[in-house]
Amino acid sequence: MRRKGASKPVTVLVALIVGVLIGAVIGYALSPKAPVTTTVTAPSGDLEKLKAENEQLKAKVEELTKKLASAGEGEITIKIWTIGPDPPSEYRLKNFQIAAEMLNKWLAALGSKVRIKIDGQFFVRPVEWGEYKNKFYLAYKSGKAPDIYLTGHEDVGFLAANGYIIPLDDYIKEYWDVVYYDVIPTLWEAVKYQGKIWAVPQDTEARPIYFRKDVLKKLGWSDEEIAQLPEKVKRGEFTLKDLLEVAKEAVDKGLVERGILHRVKEGYDYFQFYLAYGGRLWDAESGKMVFTKSAWRKTLQWFHDAVWKYKVISPTQFSGDWDKDFHGPFTQGKALFLSGGTWHKGEWVSKGLLTNEEFNENIGYMLHPAGEPGKKPVTLSHPLIYTITKQAQERGVADVAFLLITLVTDPHLNANHAVQSSHLAILYSEISDSRYKKEPFLADVAYMLDYTTFIPNHPKWGDYSRIVFNVLRGVESGDLTPDQAFNELLNGIKGLGSDAVIIED
Amino acid sequence: MDYSFQWNWVGLQNYAQMLSDPIAGKVFNNTLLYVFSTLTFFNVGAALVISLITVHIPERVGQGYRALWLLPRITPSTVYALLWLWAVRQDPTALFNWILGFFGMEPVNWLHKHPWPIVILVNGFVGASFGMIIFTAALKSIPADYIRAARVDGASTFQIIRHIELPLIKWPLMFVTAYQTLSLLTSYEYILLVTNGGPGYYTTEVWALYSYHLAFAQYGGIVKFGYGAALATVLVILGLVLSIVYWRVFRLKELMIEPKIEV
Repeated sequence: MRRKGASKPVTVLVALIVGVLIGAVIGYALSPKAPVTTTVTAPSGDLEKLKAENEQLKAKVEELTKKLASAGEGEITIKIWTIGPDPPSEYRLKNFQIAAEMLNKWLAALGSKVRIKIDGQFFVRPVEWGEYKNKFYLAYKSGKAPDIYLTGHEDVGFLAANGYIIPLDDYIKEYWDVVYYDVIPTLWEAVKYQGKIWAVPQDTEARPIYFRKDVLKKLGWSDEEIAQLPEKVKRGEFTLKDLLEVAKEAVDKGLVERGILHRVKEGYDYFQFYLAYGGRLWDAESGKMVFTKSAWRKTLQWFHDAVWKYKVISPTQFSGDWDKDFHGPFTQGKALFLSGGTWHKGEWVSKGLLTNEEFNENIGYMLHPAGEPGKKPVTLSHPLIYTITKQAQERGVADVAFLLITLVTDPHLNANHAVQSSHLAILYSEISDSRYKKEPFLADVAYMLDYTTFIPNHPKWGDYSRIVFNVLRGVESGDLTPDQAFNELLNGIKGLGSDAVIIED
Repeated sequence: MDYSFQWNWVGLQNYAQMLSDPIAGKVFNNTLLYVFSTLTFFNVGAALVISLITVHIPERVGQGYRALWLLPRITPSTVYALLWLWAVRQDPTALFNWILGFFGMEPVNWLHKHPWPIVILVNGFVGASFGMIIFTAALKSIPADYIRAARVDGASTFQIIRHIELPLIKWPLMFVTAYQTLSLLTSYEYILLVTNGGPGYYTTEVWALYSYHLAFAQYGGIVKFGYGAALATVLVILGLVLSIVYWRVFRLKELMIEPKIEV
């Protein structure tokens, strides 16, 4: 018995060694050969430009080093607050850690004994925007505000008006040639308030309607028809009504459980349907928000019909769960259309709900179709921005904070964020970043920015949005008819005052 | 005061806004429904029934049954709310639908179809324990001689309850009614966790929750501390008025005065 027991481990050991050797030989034979090292020469124009930018940046760091010399030795802590709430947007904070590491190396090379430390937070769900912003206001009032605060561009007006943040015009002028000349110009409009620039754009996005190609195929659509759908939407030949018809057909034939999905919580996406019916959100001349009666009537009717006539949106969608009622059904092919954002692609891939290959094979994307023939298709953008708080200035760290923002406003670092989270580039040079270019989805949706609208930068925008959300929730649940909903909506909007909203027919 | 945190004196503007607030009326009616139903069916009604049953059955069984009723109270509110959400979800395997399945019925989305009964049940299961403890203590403090004498005289259990026990626990009954009314008026925690005021158009939004939503919890981070506080002040005033009403109607002063004889 003993002999038998002792021989077993030896046999296993010998088998293992033989297995490892065989594996190593097979692995060597099959593994791809290392690429032959070649010297890549950058185009001389780009190289010169890069050198010039680096020289300027170096000069700025040297200047800062001299300023910091008075601080002697030690650490300067920069407190940064950022939010996803989608987890793949983590580079909104991570990039600062990379930038600080880089900056510390430069400081060391320049002989400075000061080091920069990042005390950062990246908030993800279940923390949503409202909670995040409330945390900021309360932290600010208790003197514990972050130095750099990431928020939505629509907050610029009241953050500036109430003295939370500082204007950045002088800094931007100073660092213009380093990187800011490269920022896509429309984004500057989103960070202006009363003629001044109060923030630096961090990212932007588009909100497409995703569709399942596999389901359309089962409905009898040819590959060409499927490929042409985004173009038809662009030309206004496929409207919101067509969206309902196709979704209904898919549900009726039992190909999907749900025809159309939209977000399950409050947000700004619903305004796209209003815009698609020709509604206006913003009157640039008067600086007021706009309520277009005819467009809201049609929008409310559309949501009502989608739930109760066509039965393609669930009446419980608004009390649903992100995973069970939004991401899950669509990525599993149980829903045909999804009104989402570009970042959702990043979320699906990073969560493992879809691989890139599955996404490319089965998922298509298009603008939100025009409400009716003759109207235009739409999308909505909500650029996020980095601001510097007044408390950072009072603590004497605004210069360092801005340098860090400048360092993260870099085509390479911002592409980290854009590629991982499926947000769109903010710099022209980022569009030609090799990783960005490898992501066909980002290139494919870039045209949508030609059809985009920004959310109004008005202090009462949140009220407008809340009233719309609650009324839509009532329409979908069946609590309100479209007429009742319109009256509730109009009354609510009137309550915001004529100094805030223009009501037009 | 709003998110700007500027203290601007606006006089009674927030109260005037309340009068023209299209939502306030609906929310007020919801609050009445919530307080009256939960109080009647659970915080006083169920609490009294549980106490009466458990003092008339063998002591050990009664104690065990009462201990079970304390579970919702001692369970963390988020865990308790999650258990309810699981029990009432639309899946056929969820507790409520599993029971329906025995009768061959289709699964129901309970929170969507019957939000109010669920909200009342969720709050009632927690709220009944307070009254249960008070009533049980009061019932147990009734001298056993009264009960024995009644039994000797041939009184049934129902007659003992009707003519001896209920009159003798009148003060605890009135106290629990008054206390729980005020408590329910300001409570919103479980509604927030289970329906968040929905589904639909402010379906289960009660006054305290409306105040909380406006003051602290809006998507865009807009906070209306001033208006939220004004709404909450209405609850304080309502609470004071109800306290006076209860004081007078229930003659609670008599409960507080020194006993006329020394016991």
